[in-house]
Amino acid sequence: MKPHEDHAEAAASPKPDLKDPRVVLSLLETDQVVAAKQQTRFGRRSLSTGIKILLWGLRVYVLVMFVLVLVSVVRAIHSAP
Amino acid sequence: MTGRKQDSETSSFGSARPTTEIAASSPVAGDLVGLLTHEDVDRARDRWRVTRARWQGRGAQRFRGLRVLWLLVGPGVLVFLGENDAPSMLSYSATGARFGIGFFIPFVVLTFLIGLVVQEMTVRLGAVSHRGHAELIFDRFGKFWGFFSMGDLVIGNFLTLITEFIGIRAGLGFFGIRPVVAVGVGLVAVVGAITTGRYWTWERITLGLAIFNGLFVPAAILAHPNWLAVGHALLTWTPLPQGRAAEILLLILADIGATVTPWMIFFQQSAVVDKGMQPRDIRAGRFDTLLGATLAAIFAIAAILATAPLFHHGIDASQFQGAQFAEALAPWIGHVGAALFALGIFEAGIVAAIAISTSSAYAFGEVIGTGHSLNRPVRDAWPFYSTLLGSACAAAALVLIPHAPLEFVVLTVNVIAVLAMPPALAFLILLVNDRDVMGEHVNGFWENAAGIVVTVLLVGVGIAFGVTTVFPKLLGG
Repeated sequence: MKPHEDHAEAAASPKPDLKDPRVVLSLLETDQVVAAKQQTRFGRRSLSTGIKILLWGLRVYVLVMFVLVLVSVVRAIHSAP
Repeated sequence: MTGRKQDSETSSFGSARPTTEIAASSPVAGDLVGLLTHEDVDRARDRWRVTRARWQGRGAQRFRGLRVLWLLVGPGVLVFLGENDAPSMLSYSATGARFGIGFFIPFVVLTFLIGLVVQEMTVRLGAVSHRGHAELIFDRFGKFWGFFSMGDLVIGNFLTLITEFIGIRAGLGFFGIRPVVAVGVGLVAVVGAITTGRYWTWERITLGLAIFNGLFVPAAILAHPNWLAVGHALLTWTPLPQGRAAEILLLILADIGATVTPWMIFFQQSAVVDKGMQPRDIRAGRFDTLLGATLAAIFAIAAILATAPLFHHGIDASQFQGAQFAEALAPWIGHVGAALFALGIFEAGIVAAIAISTSSAYAFGEVIGTGHSLNRPVRDAWPFYSTLLGSACAAAALVLIPHAPLEFVVLTVNVIAVLAMPPALAFLILLVNDRDVMGEHVNGFWENAAGIVVTVLLVGVGIAFGVTTVFPKLLGG
């Protein structure tokens, strides 16, 4: 059974037989099958110095900004009537 | 497969972009046959509908396209109408009440263009990788950066979820409904949407609710806006807002935060994956995102127009919350208009509560490696559903605490969203440029340029906020 014909057959059928695992597989990409995803992982990518600096810089930025949000909230609470 | 799937026997699939045909004829297809789950079968059923629509309508090209779009529309519309949430609509309302028709009308259009640039990348990333955003960050950058990223998401999502229940309470409060009942209605909506056990049904129910975001349009029409002034504002960005620079900056920040937030990235990518979209669906996914951004921009501008009468009549709306806007508008847009406005705030809260709690649950499931699909029955994915319901219940409970200083959460939630965006964007841009993940679908020059400009813009606005906080008198604050 050629897979391409499978696919065409499944599409043309008014109601696919999804109890047939081959029909299910013919409609999904390999990566979409839960079991395949659980068994596989993308590897860690290597981070260049530039990317590390970028990520650390943005992390520090967020932490500082969150502290400033806290400061502005505390100020607003104190100035509230 | 350089950089991907190195730790498994399934690497014998052999292609960085396995096709449908390869899936069925793969040497490990036999192994997978016995491992297929309920989630796979439901997703295959959704794919069959799309495939059939593409095959069936060959004779009627126009209707075939519409049918395919109908089937593939969803995540983009949901993410943008979900982001037109209670605090966002209140930000737009505050903008209309404070500055009327002018600079902020085209500015809101610009923010949705920014949102479109960002969200288009999530469509490609989800359709090509079939992985959620949190899962990809953990896989490619490791736990250290993954947990930082999740920290931003969890804080932002939970605070936003609180504001959704504030919106639900305020919206129904206009009709005299008690807070506990209003919040209960919100929780019932969240539970009702997830008990279907099917992504497709959940998506259609939520889309059905989300379209009521359009209630702001009749409310705006009842305000009898000066359409010439609207057109003039769109073309010239004038009149410019007058007043304290710090206050204007805060509204700019809030309006940006009403359109681009980290939860949108995580949600749309996971929803694209759960919907089963494939690389061949990317064009439809772009249309879906464009449709969502367009509808959301129209409804956001409608909220500004609906509250513009408060500006024209010199009413101070700086301390208004949801129901107070509706009450104050009643003399100018009538009781029906005010009721539509209040219902709009309620609807905005409901849809966003559903979408944001789902976003948190997707991310949690992806990180701990448990089932994270709305196609899974509750018994198979209870941690996923528990996170979804738990976060909604906790936010709802906080809203019912008497005298809790919730107005500060509403004021700061959009600001926090903007401040947390640059790192989220950096991860997104890095992932969408990762050839091991994206193959031929990596960003092009203009997509990268747009993404980087948006990131720099958001950092700049954040720094301006920081400067005005440290030196409040610098901008006349």
